[in-house]
Amino acid sequence: MTLLETYVFRNSGKILAYALLISLSIFVLFPLLFSLSQSFMTNQEVNRWPPPMIPTEPTLDSYRQLFTQPDLKLPIWLRNSLFAAAAYTTAVIVICAPAAYAFARLRFPGNNLLFGLLLLTIMIPGQVTLIPNFLLMRDLKFLDTFHALIWPGAANVFGVFLLRQFFMQIPRELEEAAVLDGASYWGRFRHVILPLSTNALTALGIFVFLAHYNDLLWPFVVTNSLEMRTLPVGLQVLNSSYAGQYRPLVLAGAVFATVPIVVVYIIFQRRIIKGVALTGMGGR
Amino acid sequence: MSETTGTVPKSAVARPATSRLHLPLSLSAREALAAYLFLTPFMVFFLIFVVRAVITAVNMSFYDWQILRPGQLYVGLDNYVELFNDYVWWIAVKNTIVFTALTVFGTTVVALAAAVAVTQPIRGQSVFRVILYMPTLLSVGVVGLIWVWLLSTQFGIINYLLSFLGIRPINWLGDEALVIPALSLTTIWWGFGFPMLIFIAGIQSIPDQLYEAARIDGANGWQLFWYITLPLLRPTILFVTVTGVISHFQVFGQPFIMTGGGPGRGSYTVIYYLFEIAWRAFRMGYGSAVAVSLAVIIAIFTAIQFRLIGRRVEY
Amino acid sequence: MSKRPLFAFLVTILSIFVLSMSVVSIQAQEEEAEPEVLPSPTPAIAELGTGGTHISFWNGLTGSDGVTLNEMLAQFVEENPDISVTTEIVDWNTLYTKLQAAFVAGQPPELILLHASEIAQFASYGVLKDLSSWYSDGGGWFPVDDLSATTYDGMIYEGVPYGIPLDNHGRGLWINTDAFERAGVDPDMEPPTTYEGWVELFQQLTLDVNGNNAASPDFDPENVAQWGFAVGEWPFVNWYSVLHQHGGSMLSEDGTTATVNSPESILALQQFVDLVYTYNVSPPAAGFDTWAGFAAGNVAVLPTGTWFRNFAVLQTDINWKAWPQLQFGDQKATWFGIHTFMVPATLEGEKLEAVERLIQWVSEHQVDWASSGQVPARLSAQAQLDPETYPTNILLGQTFTEYGVLEPKHVAMLELRAAIEPELGAALNGQKSAEEALNDAAERMQQALDRVN
Repeated sequence: MTLLETYVFRNSGKILAYALLISLSIFVLFPLLFSLSQSFMTNQEVNRWPPPMIPTEPTLDSYRQLFTQPDLKLPIWLRNSLFAAAAYTTAVIVICAPAAYAFARLRFPGNNLLFGLLLLTIMIPGQVTLIPNFLLMRDLKFLDTFHALIWPGAANVFGVFLLRQFFMQIPRELEEAAVLDGASYWGRFRHVILPLSTNALTALGIFVFLAHYNDLLWPFVVTNSLEMRTLPVGLQVLNSSYAGQYRPLVLAGAVFATVPIVVVYIIFQRRIIKGVALTGMGGR
Repeated sequence: MSETTGTVPKSAVARPATSRLHLPLSLSAREALAAYLFLTPFMVFFLIFVVRAVITAVNMSFYDWQILRPGQLYVGLDNYVELFNDYVWWIAVKNTIVFTALTVFGTTVVALAAAVAVTQPIRGQSVFRVILYMPTLLSVGVVGLIWVWLLSTQFGIINYLLSFLGIRPINWLGDEALVIPALSLTTIWWGFGFPMLIFIAGIQSIPDQLYEAARIDGANGWQLFWYITLPLLRPTILFVTVTGVISHFQVFGQPFIMTGGGPGRGSYTVIYYLFEIAWRAFRMGYGSAVAVSLAVIIAIFTAIQFRLIGRRVEY
Repeated sequence: MSKRPLFAFLVTILSIFVLSMSVVSIQAQEEEAEPEVLPSPTPAIAELGTGGTHISFWNGLTGSDGVTLNEMLAQFVEENPDISVTTEIVDWNTLYTKLQAAFVAGQPPELILLHASEIAQFASYGVLKDLSSWYSDGGGWFPVDDLSATTYDGMIYEGVPYGIPLDNHGRGLWINTDAFERAGVDPDMEPPTTYEGWVELFQQLTLDVNGNNAASPDFDPENVAQWGFAVGEWPFVNWYSVLHQHGGSMLSEDGTTATVNSPESILALQQFVDLVYTYNVSPPAAGFDTWAGFAAGNVAVLPTGTWFRNFAVLQTDINWKAWPQLQFGDQKATWFGIHTFMVPATLEGEKLEAVERLIQWVSEHQVDWASSGQVPARLSAQAQLDPETYPTNILLGQTFTEYGVLEPKHVAMLELRAAIEPELGAALNGQKSAEEALNDAAERMQQALDRVN
């Protein structure tokens, strides 16, 4: 065996891994970069055949238009989306974490039954509850307010499930020490469990945040005024109205909407992995 | 479900002195009370926005319920009878099942392969992890926008690239046989990032000693994967496929944005059909019957999955 | 990394937010400094005027016609400084969803622009205002005799007018004169009046990459460079027109029976199917972008509508002219629709008065609406159109007045349309035969009719 062959043989796993990851990365990145590139093209250029990959004369016109078209209130929509998603995420964590603790650690009549019931509701399509909850929003006078974007999804069963799995992994001994120090149930939860759960809470927070940030149908139905729209709703209107003729503009809007969450994800991605690892979703 | 709450006595010692609740309750009663208090905020929201809404929806499905009409008409099981005889419903069910099967299978395979590759001892792990997760950060509207263009018959870059291989333009979204696979491909691209993270976590939780021992026995990489990684990932695979089936059965945005249900009804999915019934035909009662029936179908498929993969897995 | 990830998480979000705000304001300032002229899409929302009486106006005019209407309304608020208007444009499909939600929520806009074919549906729920007092036969300002009989009839549901018509819009053919010349056909010819004549013309106009036309034995249907026709644009309108040309109809006279599987109807659909699969003169319906295809010079005769005018003028460099709707049957008939102003039943007082003033103003300035490509609804406005500027409006407007057919008035019209449109698509994409598709459609439509009637 030559040196090269030995090297290849020893590292065949790695080489295979690289080959796979690089081809997958191309599969993932090509559509993204192509679309990003299109957002710098003119309306005429995107309709050309063969399709140009790189703009011949890159232009920022679409981005400029994004902020000067009077009907595109992207800053307000972004603010709405970020605020609603952040408030929603906070609500989910505040509401779900104690419930998950009760399911994971406390014995009470009906524990398993109730938890089973929760899991069953995961199977119910969101469309089922859309109209009843819409009518409720109307009766509560929540339509076109942030309340409608925050509260209806706050009882997040997935969140309870994830955190329960995680809390069950935490060694009981840690809690028992607190018990000896005289901690109440709340004290144990607050001072033992929660500090150990930052990664899991972050992971849940990110997932919940992303799901809410990208949600379309519910905010579309419950918000009316221009000032209350979220970014996906605004983009969808932009898309359905302009995409045929102003593709670069719509893509520029998409880039604008996507950059913030990509940044958030990159910052937190290590914690997300740890969080997921510890929730037991990945097996034990 | 691992109920390992067998070690109460220790805590019992400290309890009486420190309890904030000066009620004459036994320890277990106090624990139960605490549990209910912990659960209260969640249950309030759960009862209002999930349980009440589901009951309302089921109730609506027994009416000819039109959102703008002042009074609603009770029709008993008529909506369900109509549904059973509605060929469009069955087309939508068939399309949804095919879509779900392709997407869940494809997503699981791609996610697992990516996870195995990215957990090898290589450089740039986190870079790959970020790149591969990126599509998952997009909203469905953006995904549709991107892929409609890639798949376009006349102007699509995919057909352009294929033309170098001498392949004639393919009508991806306009051919009945291709439209569901094309939507499925789009969805795999969009969605494999999340299961990938879960698989990464699962692989990382497998003790290294197992691999070491197997290597000493002379196992090669493939055997390590087949005899150690895969069996130990069983619960993870179950989780990924079950959640995948539940969410992909509810596919809506892709056909809504990319094909409008076409060609013909070639990409009608259940939720797409529901949307048409509820908001175009103004028939919320019938729409509710569709939604309830879909929930039943999802439950059946989930049960089947637990049977097939989940025999020894507990949650 | 902070020890408090949640806190850090929120801080990050906040900083991104602040950052994006500052970028935005910088962008905006730069823009003020050097204004540029860009080809502007129709704003999805326009806020016009600052008057105290505010009118919120929803419509589905996502094309260039929306720009025209906004320009008209801008002039209106200038002349009526006590009124301000917010127009919101969403595509029609989305608009139906929003409207239902808004009516249910008790927050409808003050003014809506829909189609005449939707009057029955919304009026039957009692959410539309009775506008009979605005028409001359009820003592109002709108002269009934300034509308074609079909148009006025389209406003009425159960004897009561619920809308004020803005325009007639409908089918016309856009022909690429260069494509005609490439195929050796004189674009100034008289359009055929029989199916056989049209097929022959389309065959001459369809060229493969080697320049053979579809009638030639050497024609290569796998490599077509130029199509004679494109069945894909809104097949419902094509089929509906030809159905009436053959003397058929969608519903029986009394509105209780679906007649879409009549021999006339099957023939009408079959004629379009044959253009694709027998004569190879049109691409299948799905997967072919008709507007882009026309702009790229790949379609010689595009069946589109009055709304295509501005796109053709502004966004293509094609040499074109318009022809009236094609004729496959014995009689002349062409589908048309009416953009119609409607007012929520709950509107009263000052706002109602303002809305009435707005509608009246727009009605009296309908000539300006022609620049959207659509045909003004009022006959007097049609007569004032300048033939140099508005040849297509005049040409097509006359066909609507002479032999235009509206959709039937039915309270479940949107549902009936949802029942038939995918079936037409299925037949045109070769998934079903025309007869199967229309039988299936008839069955579904009949169910809807039986339920409603």
